[in-house]
Amino acid sequence: MDGHDRQLAVFLAGELDPAAARQWDAHLLECDQCWQAVREDRAGRGAARLLRQPAPPGLADRIGLAVEVAAATRLRDRRVARPPRHARASARSRWRGRAGAGALAAGAAVALGVFLLPAGRPAVPAAVTAVARYAHAVPMPSGEQSLHHGEPTVPVEVGRPRMVTAGGQRIVIRTWRLGGVEAVVAVSGRPFPMPPGAARAAGGGMAWSARLGGLSLYCRNGRTSELVAAPVPAAELAALAARLPIA
Amino acid sequence: MGGDHRAFLDATLPHLDLVYQVARHVAGDGLEPEDLVQETYLRAYAGFGSFRGGNARAWLAAICLNVARSEARRRRRRPSEVPARALLDVLPLAGERNGEAAPDVADVVIAGLDAREVSRCLALLPEPQRVCVVLVDVAGYSAREAAEALGCPRGTVLARVHRGRRRLAGLLAESGVSHGRP
Repeated sequence: MDGHDRQLAVFLAGELDPAAARQWDAHLLECDQCWQAVREDRAGRGAARLLRQPAPPGLADRIGLAVEVAAATRLRDRRVARPPRHARASARSRWRGRAGAGALAAGAAVALGVFLLPAGRPAVPAAVTAVARYAHAVPMPSGEQSLHHGEPTVPVEVGRPRMVTAGGQRIVIRTWRLGGVEAVVAVSGRPFPMPPGAARAAGGGMAWSARLGGLSLYCRNGRTSELVAAPVPAAELAALAARLPIA
Repeated sequence: MGGDHRAFLDATLPHLDLVYQVARHVAGDGLEPEDLVQETYLRAYAGFGSFRGGNARAWLAAICLNVARSEARRRRRRPSEVPARALLDVLPLAGERNGEAAPDVADVVIAGLDAREVSRCLALLPEPQRVCVVLVDVAGYSAREAAEALGCPRGTVLARVHRGRRRLAGLLAESGVSHGRP
């Protein structure tokens, strides 16, 4: 693009001073080549404007939830990185610069790195990522939990159901407390895709189980697809899922 | 901390439509625009502490473009470039030749093409032109904001927008002919 064309681009953007703009107006009456360029510019601009489209309903809620979960994850990791006071006194120097950085890295990995992985590594599907992010952050687990069989076996719902869309999949997420464990149950009308490293499991449809960032995941597929995520050993999750009121 | 993410959302959610416009046209195959928007917001939130109250619209656009580029590199997929034909070689504007009022070229092109076709042709533009057309014409950023998001001079943005529009018009004209439309 030569200087003439560059000046034409500035003229079309309406950014020339009035005197220069008048010169261009006069020039365009005489120069077929420039007039053709103006018309092509207008055609392209008009066509591109056809593509304007508002964000789909629900996207703002989804973004709000994702940021809320990222914030909770960051807060939880800061708390986890803070050992009890008596331990801090003896190990303060070791924690400095290591625990904080590690927790931040873990939080960043959970919040940011799950669906955009480095080259060569398959990505965890967005729908599974969303559920895992939620389970990581809400509720806040204190390390890996385990079923306490002596505790009440009636599941109690924690908080209210949340709806999120990820990977084009509408998902309803609920949190349940049962036997000392808090588990997230996500239900969708479409099957949750298997993440890398998942294994086929016993259960409805193409059931699968996987481990992801300290969570055990168990998915079963019937009329709907249900994904259970909890910070428990993998061997316990199927039994836990069987006791939850899913679908 | 609790107010941290609320402050972030207050500052950035009003620009969701703009970010979505950009994401729709820079997300490569296999990447949903909604996912790209979400990742943009999560990265922006992670960097919100270092954001010093500049132009949030341009800041979000820059992040969105960076995420899309990273993902495109990861997928090693590049858009192909198709040579454009001059619009007026294709569109017969008989009225003009007879000295009568000629139909507006934009109207002629737009009348014969739907948004899906425009989107397909837009995707064929070389990336620098496509990104500038998306930012300025589709999303409605000013040239100054687009320049800030892209880290290049405003004159470069104007030149790329101009070239991109002309090439887009040419591609659409070709498309109209190939589909038997005037």
